[in-house]
Amino acid sequence: MTANAEAPGTEPKISARNVQVYYGDTHAIKDVSVDIEDKTVTAFIGPSGCGKSTFLRCINRMNDTIDVARVEGDIRIDGEDIYDRRVDPVQLRAKVGMVFQKPNPFPKSIYDNVAYGPRIHGLARNKAELDDIVERALRRGAIWDEVKDRLSAPGTGLSGGQQQRLCIARAVATEPEVLLMDEPCSALDPIATAQVEELIDELRQNYSVVIVTHSMQQAARVSQKTAFFHLGHLVEYGETDRIFTAPEDPRTESYITGRIG
Amino acid sequence: MIELLSAANAGVLTLLILALAALAYVLARHRALRAVDGDVRRLHSLPSYYGYAAAMLTAVPALLVLAVWLIVQPWLVQMQVAQTIPAADGARAVETLPALLSDAGIALGGTLEPAIVEAAQQHARLRALGHAGRSLVVLVLAIAGLVAALRMTDPTFRARNTVESGVRALLILAASLAILTTVGIVLSMLFESINFFRAHPWQDFFFGDSWSPNFRGDSDLSILPLLWGTLYISFIALAVAVPIGLYAAIYLSEYANNRVRSIAKPLLEILAGIPTIVYGLFALLTVGPFLVSVFGRGEDGLLGVDWMNGATSVLTAGLVMGIMLIPFVSSLSDDIINAVPQSLRDGSYGLGATHSETIRQVVLPAALPGIVGAILLAASRAIGETMIVVLGAGAIARISANPFEAMTTITTRIVSQLTGDTDFASPETLVAFALGLTLFVLTLALNVLALYIVRRYREQYE
Amino acid sequence: MTDVPNPAAPIADPRGASSLLTQDARTTRRNRAEGRFRLYGILAIGVGLLMLLVLLVTIISRGTGAFQQTYLTLPVELLEAKLDKKGNRDIEDIKKVSTFGYSPLMNAALEAKVAQAGIETELEPKAMAALLSKDAAATLRDFVLENPELIGTTVEFEFLVNSRVDGYLKGRVTRESIANDKSINAAQLDLVDALVAEGSLAKRFNPEFITGSDASDQRPEAAGMGVAMIGSLFMMLVVLALALPIGVAASIYLEEFAPKNLFTDIIEVNISNLAAVPSIVFGILGLAVFINYMHLPSSAPLVGGLVLTLMTLPTIIISTRASLKSVPPSIRDAALGVGASKMQSVFHHVLPLAAPGILTGTIIGLAQALGETAPLLLIGMVGFIASNPPDGIASGLMDPNSAMPAQIYEWAKRADPAFYERAWGGIIILLVFLVTMNAIAVLLRRRFERRW
Repeated sequence: MTANAEAPGTEPKISARNVQVYYGDTHAIKDVSVDIEDKTVTAFIGPSGCGKSTFLRCINRMNDTIDVARVEGDIRIDGEDIYDRRVDPVQLRAKVGMVFQKPNPFPKSIYDNVAYGPRIHGLARNKAELDDIVERALRRGAIWDEVKDRLSAPGTGLSGGQQQRLCIARAVATEPEVLLMDEPCSALDPIATAQVEELIDELRQNYSVVIVTHSMQQAARVSQKTAFFHLGHLVEYGETDRIFTAPEDPRTESYITGRIG
Repeated sequence: MIELLSAANAGVLTLLILALAALAYVLARHRALRAVDGDVRRLHSLPSYYGYAAAMLTAVPALLVLAVWLIVQPWLVQMQVAQTIPAADGARAVETLPALLSDAGIALGGTLEPAIVEAAQQHARLRALGHAGRSLVVLVLAIAGLVAALRMTDPTFRARNTVESGVRALLILAASLAILTTVGIVLSMLFESINFFRAHPWQDFFFGDSWSPNFRGDSDLSILPLLWGTLYISFIALAVAVPIGLYAAIYLSEYANNRVRSIAKPLLEILAGIPTIVYGLFALLTVGPFLVSVFGRGEDGLLGVDWMNGATSVLTAGLVMGIMLIPFVSSLSDDIINAVPQSLRDGSYGLGATHSETIRQVVLPAALPGIVGAILLAASRAIGETMIVVLGAGAIARISANPFEAMTTITTRIVSQLTGDTDFASPETLVAFALGLTLFVLTLALNVLALYIVRRYREQYE
Repeated sequence: MTDVPNPAAPIADPRGASSLLTQDARTTRRNRAEGRFRLYGILAIGVGLLMLLVLLVTIISRGTGAFQQTYLTLPVELLEAKLDKKGNRDIEDIKKVSTFGYSPLMNAALEAKVAQAGIETELEPKAMAALLSKDAAATLRDFVLENPELIGTTVEFEFLVNSRVDGYLKGRVTRESIANDKSINAAQLDLVDALVAEGSLAKRFNPEFITGSDASDQRPEAAGMGVAMIGSLFMMLVVLALALPIGVAASIYLEEFAPKNLFTDIIEVNISNLAAVPSIVFGILGLAVFINYMHLPSSAPLVGGLVLTLMTLPTIIISTRASLKSVPPSIRDAALGVGASKMQSVFHHVLPLAAPGILTGTIIGLAQALGETAPLLLIGMVGFIASNPPDGIASGLMDPNSAMPAQIYEWAKRADPAFYERAWGGIIILLVFLVTMNAIAVLLRRRFERRW
């Protein structure tokens, strides 16, 4: 099943063709092809276990860290095959940032959490530059005002929503081009969720954001494009408005009307 | 009769009590069944519970009294006899009294003072009397228990509940043995340590600078040179075991695939299962001579230096102890590294960190408290280790920074002071208890601290 | 940070517009650091495994010699005139002849052998006899006492030779190394060579090392582990009989019944601390409480067993609690649900299900106790010669004996290198026991491992 980019002429940021993922003997992703555009929020929706998170983790090769996972097919970012032998996943992940389901700040200070990425990638020549990067990232993470007076406090001491925004700030500090978010709001309360969603909308100006969510409302609120996954297949992909108002595939319709899920 | 009673030793008494208990079981079970004409349904509990209850009532009080008697009687007898002995000999001589008399009660060796012989004979008399009383009391108690149990046995008697609360009490008793052991350790060493400090100035023990026991009675018995040797050897051991053990744990938990892990981990743990006597021999006969051939023998040696003269040295013992501790450090660290949540690693990989950057900058800092706890436990092991230092470290007490010299440790001196043929009451022997107490306190402090840190660490990620 | 940076402005990226397909210098550097770090890990494991290998090779290469001993085969004429002057074969009369009465027979047989084989030697008869073990005459006497009917005949008898000759055949003693050795000289070694060539002097398997008893300083060739093994066996029986029931009882209480209060907390802290108390401290406890206070006999396996019980209890309690904990609560609920009491649910259901785990933990605890030496030193299980096997259970528990690790220590302390070989050999025997016990534990675990 192929879903075409809807705006021919613009080069897609990420382009996947015939992607298969196996966990040991389990065929988790079955022949998925999709084009994801730059400066767009793309939502992956579907019932749990449908493979949406697995597919997301292929885009920055996080599946490499799982021994039994095997990825086949072709994923290109800016036309470069990220599963090429010459590609170092470390460099790739600097370009494709990721935010996880559960906020996972390191047991370090807020400052060190954000500075971690720039430090390992050598983005700052001196302390002043690093300070600058950290501040900018925290501002982009919409958390600067809350933490500017306690940058040396441990990141684990923040509230859940703050922790998740810190993790987003941490991810943008390495200046990625793509931001992957794996159910970033599932561990948050509604108020924190609203803040993060607002942030996602702002991030769209600079990045291509791919967000996995189990909430159709969230997908409708934040995304421009939506992909519906079911049992490892990409069932339908298109403009979010169209998916939610006029789905073409009966399975999509069943899901968004709440009959499967 | 009294002779017969006093001849029955604790073992015979125990057997008698158990026989009575067996009898009680049979009788009570039978009685319960007869009371309901064999209709088990009318009994409160299953018939065997009536038997168990009776057996318990027969045996448990009697055995408890026997146990208490075994512990208290020697003490009482000693108190009694000690008063009759001339003050100069002190209470301690009492312990040697039984050895002075032959079985027939006649003094062995003619040079004994009459007062001592008198005391020894009184000691023997009191003991015999005590034994007789013990047998009588215990047996009467057992029979009384049997009779009482039989009288209680009727269909409404809640036999199961009685048995269960009895069993529960036994379980509590078993669990309390841990406390009893600790108390026993502390008391046994405390009393003898007090005796030691009565005979020897404590200032010398804690702050003196030399250890040279002799038989003239003016020994220098300071713990400092021993402590220095102990700490120096432990330091070398940790310097070997911590890096190797930690890196091994990191590799096994973070890099190795399942096959490598399933082979290398058990192999490394074999090192932990090898008895310390084997390491001791390895130090004395293999590592020591090897080190001498490298660092000693002048021109004939591998390095052409003459730094090391004998096989026993701080370095010998330290290296071998380090080898012994490798699996200890690695398996503790392995557990601790595995407790670091995967989400932290994912977070780091997601930012483009390499595996080693993730380990060094995220996993290890997160695991640090646990690893510190593991190192403290290893240090406590090293400080308390005996056989490797007895065979590998030497016997010379000195404070020196030269790792090629033989030095001695607290544990080595405990062994040598308590295994010689010295007078048990002399400070040269008693010092072993003060050393033991110091060792116990030292390792206890390390253990408590380490366990506290590790527990806090685990709670953090649960 | 005076001027507020514009959050929308892209962060300066020194990587430039890089392609993923080319590694920048920094990534290359980082990957090299990664490789180094990994290498350290492999090295650490390599060092650990190398040490294990060195240790095992040392033990085997130095210890296997102890299982072989050099024997001299001689036809000995058991002269009636010397051994049974009255000629009535009364065993009591034969017993009156001490080992000194047997030495001449043995020495004569050796001289005859040398003469018959045509070996030329300037050695005095006494110097020739010195090749034989000091134990040889006693062995011959024991043989005759068992077979009095052979008196008057000539029997082929294998005599132990002394440890230097044995060492010469095993390569431990060389012609260079005996320069300062008063016990043996070059002429004697010439005779040894001749006897080897002649075929009467040879090494063979020595079962006495496994079954025999320790021997005095002068007779390393006759020393064996057998009696110490029996000592260890009795200690292990004591440990098993006490530590298993007490340990299981304590664990059941703590895991199933104990309320959360100060008392249980104290017990818990005590158990985890006792598990880490140095073993020598338990030795001091044993000496002070069991021997000095309760007047139990020192050097007795009973006392050793008691001390090792106290030492092993924490290990057994910890592993027993783990196996009790692994029985799912649903089993307990099911038993309680059909009206069993709490006690019945534990003893009828939980305990049997946890039994394999408990057994495994107990075997591992026993193995640990079997190899423990330090506390045994303090209760006097070294420093004497455990020469006679006990004759009965009471004697086995109460009579002075040694234990395997204590025997090894005892040999390691003696000056004669021949005893070192014995010590390594003893380690092999000890390790065989430990490996067997651990293998049983592993098998049990594999066989009964249950996934709930």
